[in-house]
Amino acid sequence: MDQPAAVLIEARDIEKRYPNGVLGLKRASLSVKAGEVVVIVGPSGSGKSTLLRTFNGLEAITGGEIVVDGHVLHQRSADLRALRQRVGMVFQQFNLFPHLTVLENLCLAPVKVLKLSAAQADERARVLLAKVGLLNKWDCYPAQLSGGQQQRVAIARALAMQPAVILFDEPTSALDPEMVGEVLEVMKQLAVDGMTMCVVTHEMGFARAVADRVIFMDGGEILCEDVPEAFFGAPRHERLQSFLRQVL
Amino acid sequence: MSPSLSRWLWHAVAAALLVTIGSGLYLASKRIDYTWRWERIPQYLISTEGDDQKAPFDGFVAVSEDGRALSMTALRGAETAEFTGFSRIVAGNGDLVFEGDVIAKTDAISAGPLLVGLWLTLKISALSLVFALLLGLIVGLGRVSKNPAARDLAAFYVEVIRGTPLLVQIFIVYFFIGTVLQLSAFAAGVVALAVFTAAYVAEIVRAGIEAVPKGQTEAAQSVGLSGFQTMRYVILPQATRRILPPLAGQSINLIKDSSLVSVMALTDLTKAGREVVSSTFSPFEVWFVVALMYLLLTGVLSVAVRRLERRYAVQG
Repeated sequence: MDQPAAVLIEARDIEKRYPNGVLGLKRASLSVKAGEVVVIVGPSGSGKSTLLRTFNGLEAITGGEIVVDGHVLHQRSADLRALRQRVGMVFQQFNLFPHLTVLENLCLAPVKVLKLSAAQADERARVLLAKVGLLNKWDCYPAQLSGGQQQRVAIARALAMQPAVILFDEPTSALDPEMVGEVLEVMKQLAVDGMTMCVVTHEMGFARAVADRVIFMDGGEILCEDVPEAFFGAPRHERLQSFLRQVL
Repeated sequence: MSPSLSRWLWHAVAAALLVTIGSGLYLASKRIDYTWRWERIPQYLISTEGDDQKAPFDGFVAVSEDGRALSMTALRGAETAEFTGFSRIVAGNGDLVFEGDVIAKTDAISAGPLLVGLWLTLKISALSLVFALLLGLIVGLGRVSKNPAARDLAAFYVEVIRGTPLLVQIFIVYFFIGTVLQLSAFAAGVVALAVFTAAYVAEIVRAGIEAVPKGQTEAAQSVGLSGFQTMRYVILPQATRRILPPLAGQSINLIKDSSLVSVMALTDLTKAGREVVSSTFSPFEVWFVVALMYLLLTGVLSVAVRRLERRYAVQG
């Protein structure tokens, strides 16, 4: 058990150039070890969501290389399915499947992709729903749930594939303020359980309390990274100082 | 005035206007000296005309006194014949008839030419619709495919079909493709209608798929579903609800467009109408009845689709 934690995500000099020539990411490098919680913060349009989305191939990269759990992603990666089974994703807009019930949302991929039996998937789904506190909503359609509940279901859906790492793309940004807490609580519990997480968020309180490392991005670049105490307590980078003055 | 009363008043206004237009048309037809003969129409819907019994040889007819038995003796030779199963005797006792003359008739209720035409219209529309939906789904998926070749082919198909008149397409299918592939007129009609309608169905399918938020595809792919699985389990079920209403309209168009197959040697409802007009010289009555029969078909379909829509609309 004393082995050094494996590196789950290793991004080297990744670059994202849009067709119109604009650079979305400039030589961004980042590594995430198993069990780590890495929080990425930065102003709007700084490329933090773009960076996160490159980790499961939703955003193609135009330079550099990413190794995620042994799968190499580069400019012309074609088969992303195997990779995506190992990387969960939670979206700002939840993106639950509206025509399926909560339980069906959780069972779809395990049955179709992992080829679990319906009973196995059902059992796994119910355990996860209990974990996010929504077991009693198993038969509801997403539209019948509040935003916070939908996001908790979305987290359970990602967990149902038993991924090695979960990416959170501003998971609380679309929520009413009173629902932010319940979602962050579920995420904290995940962190305590040892899940590897990569979180883009504006919740500085969450970053301070849960993150192992905090990364600051601006203009498509990773400007600095540090442990939360130093990041928030003694920011060294000038751009970070002014950002923190505005958001805290 | 209460809102519901005023609403009824406006409905009454609409009804009054329709009645006015109707009676105006009626009066106008009076002035052009047209004799309405509605009584001629029913026989073309339901025919009581049955089979004829014909004289098998030249000879004399013998009818029994009660009029129930009919027999014949030959003019030359000793041949005789007994007849049964008729409803009416048209020859008289002692008549001299020749081979092939009608001597008795059998009444039988059967569908008249208009109903037979309606049945053909229904058959050709239903069959074309099935093929149009299948082909339209395939072409529609081609339109949103990631593969440029599939996209090009689908776009080419849609542009060519939508850019040419259906009547011309029917002629091409009937005279060119039909001749090359030895298609019957019915098969050619089904092919022409299906190919034409499929182009519109494809556009409806494409619009329905594109209306599903991009986040759905991203979420499906993020849990590891393949492109096919994403389409099959996530996108299409959601697109179906959006596709259904315009698809119903297209199906109704198909039924109406099917009247154009009457230019081939196909006796559909429209062709039957034309034939009945030429034998009755009552064009007004016949075309009104034909219109009403088309309306019946499309009406039933639109009610059915509304039901279906309501069922799909239950979730979220």
